[in-house]
Amino acid sequence: MRTSDLLALALGNVGRARVRSTLTILGVAIGTALVVLLIALASGAEENVKRSIFSIGDLRLVTVQPFQPGSTGLTAVARTITDDNVAKFRLIPHVDGVYRQFDAPLGTLLEGGEDAPIRPQGIEPNAPVDRGDLLAGRHLAPNERAVAVVPGNLARLIAPTVDGAVGRKVTLRLGGAVKLGQTRIAGSGTPRDYVMTIVGVFDERNTSQTSVRIALDDAIVAAAENRGLAPEDMRRMTGYSGVSLETEDSKYVGDVVSSVQELGYSAFSLKQVIDQIDQGFGVFRGILAGIGGVALLVAAIGIANTMIMAVLERTREIGIMKAVGAAPQDIRLLFLAEAGVVGLFGGAIGLALGIGGGKVIEEIIRQLNPRTNPSNIFVVDPALALGSLGLALLVSLVAGFLPSRRAMRMSALSALRYE
Amino acid sequence: MAESAGLIVEADRLERTYESGTAPVAALAGLSLQVRRGEFLAVMGPSGSGKSTLLNILAGLERPTAGRVTVDGVDLSALDENGLARYRRGKVGIIFQAFNLLPRYRVIDNVAFPLLFAGIAVDERLRRAAAILDRLGMGPRAGHRPSQLSGGELQRTAIARALITDPALLLADEPTGNLDSANGEALLALMAELHARGQTIVLVTHDAAIAARAQRVVRMRDGRLVA
Repeated sequence: MRTSDLLALALGNVGRARVRSTLTILGVAIGTALVVLLIALASGAEENVKRSIFSIGDLRLVTVQPFQPGSTGLTAVARTITDDNVAKFRLIPHVDGVYRQFDAPLGTLLEGGEDAPIRPQGIEPNAPVDRGDLLAGRHLAPNERAVAVVPGNLARLIAPTVDGAVGRKVTLRLGGAVKLGQTRIAGSGTPRDYVMTIVGVFDERNTSQTSVRIALDDAIVAAAENRGLAPEDMRRMTGYSGVSLETEDSKYVGDVVSSVQELGYSAFSLKQVIDQIDQGFGVFRGILAGIGGVALLVAAIGIANTMIMAVLERTREIGIMKAVGAAPQDIRLLFLAEAGVVGLFGGAIGLALGIGGGKVIEEIIRQLNPRTNPSNIFVVDPALALGSLGLALLVSLVAGFLPSRRAMRMSALSALRYE
Repeated sequence: MAESAGLIVEADRLERTYESGTAPVAALAGLSLQVRRGEFLAVMGPSGSGKSTLLNILAGLERPTAGRVTVDGVDLSALDENGLARYRRGKVGIIFQAFNLLPRYRVIDNVAFPLLFAGIAVDERLRRAAAILDRLGMGPRAGHRPSQLSGGELQRTAIARALITDPALLLADEPTGNLDSANGEALLALMAELHARGQTIVLVTHDAAIAARAQRVVRMRDGRLVA
């Protein structure tokens, strides 16, 4: 039997039992629509979460923390990061850039009679934290001292506009007690004043409103003076607060994290967070798909029922076809093709329903929250679209398997005698 | 095919036993039969004599419990289900008493069905079906449904379907059973004409008048041929 004849016969048979076929197709459509909607919901949620993580930072970064990796996060033991260690980090394959960071003592920005608490971060030029987020001025430059890049909210304390703050000299009082109003919140030692020139203002909305970026050496000197030590001793004894390793590509992040851990330090990367989110969402998606799958299972039972009815009703027809030369396989294929037609139609309608339903729900949510502009809630990618069609087809073929086998095995003679 | 004087059917000690209730019933009890190529044979017997069982075995719709049957060089007992299906659509044409047309399909589609399962393209199928319907005077009815036909037309449609594969053997099971006498007569005339053109025919009937129209008559009783 030719495929074209098979399909023509199958379509004709499905079209003949119009009401029954329509109801069965509707069942498949509802099941498929549910699978599409629920998986699209999971994909949409994952996309939103990932997008907000991407906005936090660069996936190529690995941050070395001054801890030994413990068996659990709770058992981490402090471990100094010295320049010797940093030199080893530089040798890790696929590490493009190494940026040390040293957190200076907490302090306040003395300006306009108001003390604003600040966290001075000593960083190296072109450090990942100091990139591309400027409102005014510029980033830190190599070999520069006594300069600072401040957040927008602090810049506005200094001058009416962020542009006006650039070039102003300000006093940072570091060390000693840091007070928020009258309450002492941190600090030790004797406070010292450092005068620095503001060279840039960064957008504080996505990061910290208290971070002040200063040169690495300035931060070390401030810490050393606070503790009464030489800067060299400070580097050796306290070590760096953290080191950012920039990899050539995010695909190397896992390897670099392992290398850092082998060197005895704990490492953190957004990439790994994303990977874990992927895993988590995989489970989430699986659960939702399972719920939709139950609907599809019910639809499959409907298909099986329809096909069994069809085989019974057409027993005589099967007998005649066999008598005039239909091979057993022809009969099986015919009924499987009918189930497949039901599945494909149902799948296509269900896919359309799922996509359309998602859009309607999104639109309703937008109407209910006119001020916010939520990003896509349902995301249907080509893989989901094709997958749902394939699933509907597969389910229908499985459901049609037993009825079609029954038709195939029917004896031509007894089928001819069937009334 | 008329020239060949060889045998087209060789049935050797055929047995067919049905398990019904307690005692097995023998429909065929060691029947041997030979049919020559181009022969018009009538198998006559009362109901229950096993003549339909013989026909079904020759049609490849049923298998003998024991014995061997060869049709046009094909040993039917050696065929599996697929082989029997190929045999049915290649070697034999069957005319049933109940016509056995598919009510949903047009006359021409019914006639073309055996070619569909033989994998022949739709244009060719319909062309051949139209030709054979014309030959049987059914051309004007090609586009009708079976429900719109008279009994005689239904049976001629069934004959057209049986002949479309140009079978070596045409089998007919009480073909006039559902026809009035005029249509029955026309059918017998048609079969005689087919025979005259060289078609081998095996006809099964309980009616001596019909059997008499054949070239040779064999009688069956209790699953055997009687003299």
